[in-house]
Amino acid sequence: MSVVLEGTGLVKRFGPAVALGGVGLAVHTGEAVAIMGPSGSGKSTLLHCLAGIMKPDAGEVHLLGLRIDAMGERQRSALRRTRFGFVFQFGQLLPELPAEENVALPLMLGGVSRADAVRQAREWFGPLGLGGMEGRRPGELSGGQAQRVAIARALVTRPAVIFADEPTGALDQSTGHDTMRLLVEATKHNGASLVVVTHDHQVARWCDRVVEVRDGQIIPGRHGARPPAGHGAHPSAGHGAHPSAGHGAHPSAGHGAHPSSGHDPRHPVPGQGVTREPATQILPGVSG
Amino acid sequence: MTGLMALTWRLLRGGGRRGLLGAGLTVAAVAVSTALLLFAVSVNIAFQGRADREAWRNPVAATGKATAIETVRRDYVRDRQITVVDLAALEPGAAPPPGLARFPAPGEVWFSPALAELARELPADQLAGRFPRKTAGTVGDEALVHPGELVAVRGQRSDAPVMTAEPADGPRAGAGPMKISGFTGEATGDAEAYKALGLIASVLMVVPLLVFGGAAARLTVARRDQRLAALRLVGATPGQVVTMTVAEAVITAFGGAVIGAALYGLGIPLFTGIEIAGGPWFLSDMWPGVLAVLAVLLAVPLLVGLSAVVGLRRIVVSPLGVAKRETPPAMRFVRVVALLASLAMVPVLRGDSAIVIAVVVIGLPFLAINLAGPWVVGMLGRIVSRSARRPARLLAGRRLVDDPKAAWRTVSGVAMTGFVAGFIGLLSPGSGLLGDADAVDLRLSVPSSQVAEVTAGARERLSAAGVPATIEAGGTGATRVLTASLGKRDAGSVDRARTALDGLVPGRGATSAADEDRSSAQILEDIGTGTVTVLAVSFLVAIASAGITAASSILDRRQTYALLRLAGTPLEVLNGARRAETLIPLTVMGGGSILVGMFCAAPFAISAMNVAGVVTLLVCVALGFAGVIGAGAASAPLLRSVTANPAPRPD
Repeated sequence: MSVVLEGTGLVKRFGPAVALGGVGLAVHTGEAVAIMGPSGSGKSTLLHCLAGIMKPDAGEVHLLGLRIDAMGERQRSALRRTRFGFVFQFGQLLPELPAEENVALPLMLGGVSRADAVRQAREWFGPLGLGGMEGRRPGELSGGQAQRVAIARALVTRPAVIFADEPTGALDQSTGHDTMRLLVEATKHNGASLVVVTHDHQVARWCDRVVEVRDGQIIPGRHGARPPAGHGAHPSAGHGAHPSAGHGAHPSAGHGAHPSSGHDPRHPVPGQGVTREPATQILPGVSG
Repeated sequence: MTGLMALTWRLLRGGGRRGLLGAGLTVAAVAVSTALLLFAVSVNIAFQGRADREAWRNPVAATGKATAIETVRRDYVRDRQITVVDLAALEPGAAPPPGLARFPAPGEVWFSPALAELARELPADQLAGRFPRKTAGTVGDEALVHPGELVAVRGQRSDAPVMTAEPADGPRAGAGPMKISGFTGEATGDAEAYKALGLIASVLMVVPLLVFGGAAARLTVARRDQRLAALRLVGATPGQVVTMTVAEAVITAFGGAVIGAALYGLGIPLFTGIEIAGGPWFLSDMWPGVLAVLAVLLAVPLLVGLSAVVGLRRIVVSPLGVAKRETPPAMRFVRVVALLASLAMVPVLRGDSAIVIAVVVIGLPFLAINLAGPWVVGMLGRIVSRSARRPARLLAGRRLVDDPKAAWRTVSGVAMTGFVAGFIGLLSPGSGLLGDADAVDLRLSVPSSQVAEVTAGARERLSAAGVPATIEAGGTGATRVLTASLGKRDAGSVDRARTALDGLVPGRGATSAADEDRSSAQILEDIGTGTVTVLAVSFLVAIASAGITAASSILDRRQTYALLRLAGTPLEVLNGARRAETLIPLTVMGGGSILVGMFCAAPFAISAMNVAGVVTLLVCVALGFAGVIGAGAASAPLLRSVTANPAPRPD
């Protein structure tokens, strides 16, 4: 698998506090990486540096061989709009826009006509279990529904990398699982990579590998540089088998069945949905 | 209760830099409102003061025992008016008029300071020659309309010709000899007219101020929405939430009101420089008095508190009221009906309607615009969001639909000014209204029995003064008019002729056609000055309001803006959306308000709209747009700063 995004030797200081002390991370195409760590460990700073939101004090960030940390704000802004997608804990949807316009907005910003943008946006609603919600405003959606709209909005421009910062932080456990599963699946079906910042091990288990950050450093031995999943057990075996391993046990098996498995055909279990569901269902506009 | 207050104070102080900035905006808004409100109040008190100080020169006949005779005449020098008061005591010890230390003795003259100075400046044969040589003293400020007024008070014997003369004709010729028992007098017709105009000006200034003040109050509430809803969620009673919010709004508003009063105090010298009725104001005119200041300092925080309560209703009803954003119910059409109904009353008015009725009929549509505004903004939002092709317009349209009241708050000030501009634009008197009256040929009314005698006297006096003239008698009946066509037509010669002819006919002065038009011309000029003043105040309010609401709207939405920016939305799109959500309603509502203002002014219009009116209007429109765009642009750095570090969490 080729490296899509790579940060090397990233250093970021806030006054006397060192948030990142020379960190490197490579994300491969189609890979889902969880960045974990306690509060203040620097995990969000790492995400912001990788996503071109912050400029690191030292080090480099490359997207598909293009150095992005040296770009001006305008270029980085355009890059974030076209090559990256973002999902946050909450608040990223504009409260005054109906859901479909929230999803269509990034396309319109890229110059797509409004009619086309809305049409393309609507295609995401069915596969994400949001059928009938197109005209609702964020205030009229549940937390889980709002996050799915946010996922659609992040993916609608077909970005190379999706960045998610505590995407399930404001959701209950069961909704969080659903959301996380959809996020991982939909990202992979689009051929995009996923970088998730979280402090929730349950969330991290949905990813191909986990990178642990503490005091601005990546803790050695807690992450593998191995290409993404589907080939065997997750390196951090302490966390259990990878959920999308396909041939392994479901991570939540110990706690019982996955909340949605078997109940809702629209929400396939990760790894199974890939084969069971037609790709078009989570990849609008692209024939399976 | 004290615990609640302590908590309120802590929340107010601990709001962080952005919270303090928000509170600062409210303080600034209230300060500007208070300062201008004090000005609007003072204007009325000032005109009343002028009317009171002038009343002694508008005598009322003695009802009991007469103590003196008073006669008042208008005289002219250059293009200025002199009020000449002749007084004769009927008994020793008669009370002196205001401004004089004692009752003037026969042969004495008392000058106002400005007249004394002018009499020294001009050659004696042009001005000083009209009065006795013996200057006994200076007329005090308490007897003068304004510091620059020209007033002469002469002492006469009760049997002097001027004290027994027939009164001159004409509405502004003055008051003939009248036996009086005191100097109470009554307000002149001009003074009453100025008071009425002052009141209209106040209404035009106060309504936008109230709207602005209310917006400032809701601005505090909007910022606290989230926090107060959180307090409700943890179990604060509605009463506690109301108390805390109102306390916070009142504390902030009181601070603003005190600063505003101080600002007004500093501004008094500026305000007194506005010349009305031919002169500036005394400093004391613009001081509304301790009671009025205290009343304003009390009323402003109370009004802001009241406005805060209204703004809070939603949260108090439901703790989730603001936590969930739902499509707001559409505005009721009754708002527009109210405007139409208030407009339907306007054609009933006539130019001579009672002033109170006129103020009500003008004030109601003015307020109703503010009621209909949000409805129109909401409708505009629907149209814009339906037709938008670009993201900025879509964002703007949706935002207008989402919170039409907030969008209206940003432009209401300028829309209100549009009303004022439309109203005044139609009323601006044209310069050609009076025409160019002759300022040289002097006319003197004469009892017909004395025509020959006075003609000879005039000819003799004029040639002695070096201003030869041909004199013709015109008119018929008991009073004839002599017209002296002067051979020299410069201002000095005209005043020499006036001085030469002074006293030729007791109680009458020689005046030109231009002199006789001077009062009317003065009132028209003053309406122009008033117009500019009211518009300046309106624009100040409007632009301050636009700037403050723009800044506070950024603060309120900083998280959304930051996240949009983070996801790569260019700042230009955000700024473009902000501009569109202001300019679209501004264009429609500003234009609509101008039309409503013109409609309301129609009953008072003395002539069709003239060039001056059109120019006033165009300048207003240009200033309004420039001001609002400028105010919005001024908050662009704030937008950049709240989105500069878009990290939603520090970790």
